[in-house]
This record gives sequence, C-alpha cells and structure tokens, in this order.
Amino acid sequence: MVKFLKPNKAVIVLQGRYAGRKAVIIRAFDDGTRDRPYGHCLVAGIKKYPSKVVKRDSAKKTAKKSRVKAFVKMVNYQHVMPTRYTLDVDLKDAVTAESLQSKDKKVAALKETKKRLEERFKTGKNRWFFTKLRF
Amino acid sequence: MVAAKKTKKTHESINNRLALVMKSGKYTLGYKTVLKSLRTSKGKLIIIANNCPPLRKSEIEYYAMLAKVGVHHYNGNNVDLGTACGKYYRVCCLSIIDPGDSDIIKTLPAEQ
Repeated sequence: MVKFLKPNKAVIVLQGRYAGRKAVIIRAFDDGTRDRPYGHCLVAGIKKYPSKVVKRDSAKKTAKKSRVKAFVKMVNYQHVMPTRYTLDVDLKDAVTAESLQSKDKKVAALKETKKRLEERFKTGKNRWFFTKLRF
Repeated sequence: MVAAKKTKKTHESINNRLALVMKSGKYTLGYKTVLKSLRTSKGKLIIIANNCPPLRKSEIEYYAMLAKVGVHHYNGNNVDLGTACGKYYRVCCLSIIDPGDSDIIKTLPAEQ
C-alpha cells in the first residue's frame, strides 16, 4: 500500500526502442493528463551504457569509455518495471515535461542529463544502474 | 516445514472469507488489474493460485514487496480459485482492494 513509482526510482523500460534499458523516474503522473489518460512517468535513462574500463587504459581511453548516452521519454507505467533501487541524481530542473516539446529543448535536456549521469558514473556510486542488463 | 500441510479447516475458512469479500468488498481479478492495483497502491492483499507461471508469480511478488502488500499463495490452482471467487472462469491472481465485512486482511498475513 506504499506508492513506489516516485521520482528517483530506478526502473527498467520494457517496451519500445529502449526496451531493456535502465532509467530513473523524474516525474510521475499517476492520474494521467488529458493527452495521456493513463498513469505515466517522465524518465531519463541510458541509451548507451559506458564500457568496461580496464587498468591499462590510458586516460584518453578511459574518458572515451566512460561516456554515457542518455534518453528522455514519457512512458506508460505498464511499459516499465520498477526495481528496488533508487538513483539520487537531481534532474528535475534539467528535464521537464516541456523539454519534449521542441527539438532544441530536448537537445539541451539531453546534454544536461548526459553530463550529470557521467559525473555520477565516475564517482563509482550506483554501479548497478550503469551496468547493462543482460537478457 | 512451514505451512506445507494446509489443514482443511484453514482452507475452508479462506474460502469463506473470500466469498464474503466477493459479496461485500471490492476486488479485481486477473494479472493486469492486479499490477494496476499495486502501482496505484490500492491493493491490500494479493492472492495467487498455485499453478501461476513462476515468472509471473515472482513479478507479482516483487511488485508487492515494493508496495509492502501481503501476498497469499492460495492452496489450489486457478480453476479452484475461480470457483472460490464464485466465478465460472479461471482466476490466476486477484487483488483485494476493499475487504468489506471480511477480516481476510487481518487474519491471512498473521497466519504466515
């Protein structure tokens, strides 16, 4: 009886182009909106996971391998699998519902998301989130 | 072994309680609506039949763990669970939203 589809919850996208990717809920719309009359949420996820970094890699190679490509999407709750993990990265100001309206707003939002996710990856926390789900 | 031998008496009482919920309370039957009730935190107790496919069973249990809702594994298959609900179709999983006059939510998790 506890609501668990809350902001900062790590979820796995189940359907669509990003199926199998991990994402974090930024904003949840439990009752839907007029355009989407069902429960849905705004998620930001990882489009391309960072590769495995080995000790013998040079600094340039490490930087290249630690890159993260992000995506931002509105998903139906039914197309998302919640997990017990959370990701405490503040994306509320970078990604909003209107970031998806126009292309340049989306590009700006994705750039900011990519930056924040990369710095989180480099700290070594939330390792589960940045590993690819094998299936 | 915990609850390996379900006595006939407790099984009947679960059926009685379920019948009371069907009569006086609110419930939903079926996998899709069970997940919906868990997402909106309306479900109070989930009952799963014993021949539910294991992937589906673990998915419902995981959702219930996140929502902190009790899950009861019914001692019978989906045919029996449908009959216990008074329906003429098979019911694999059901979610009790409002128990009505029944005390199923208080007694069932206490047994486990």
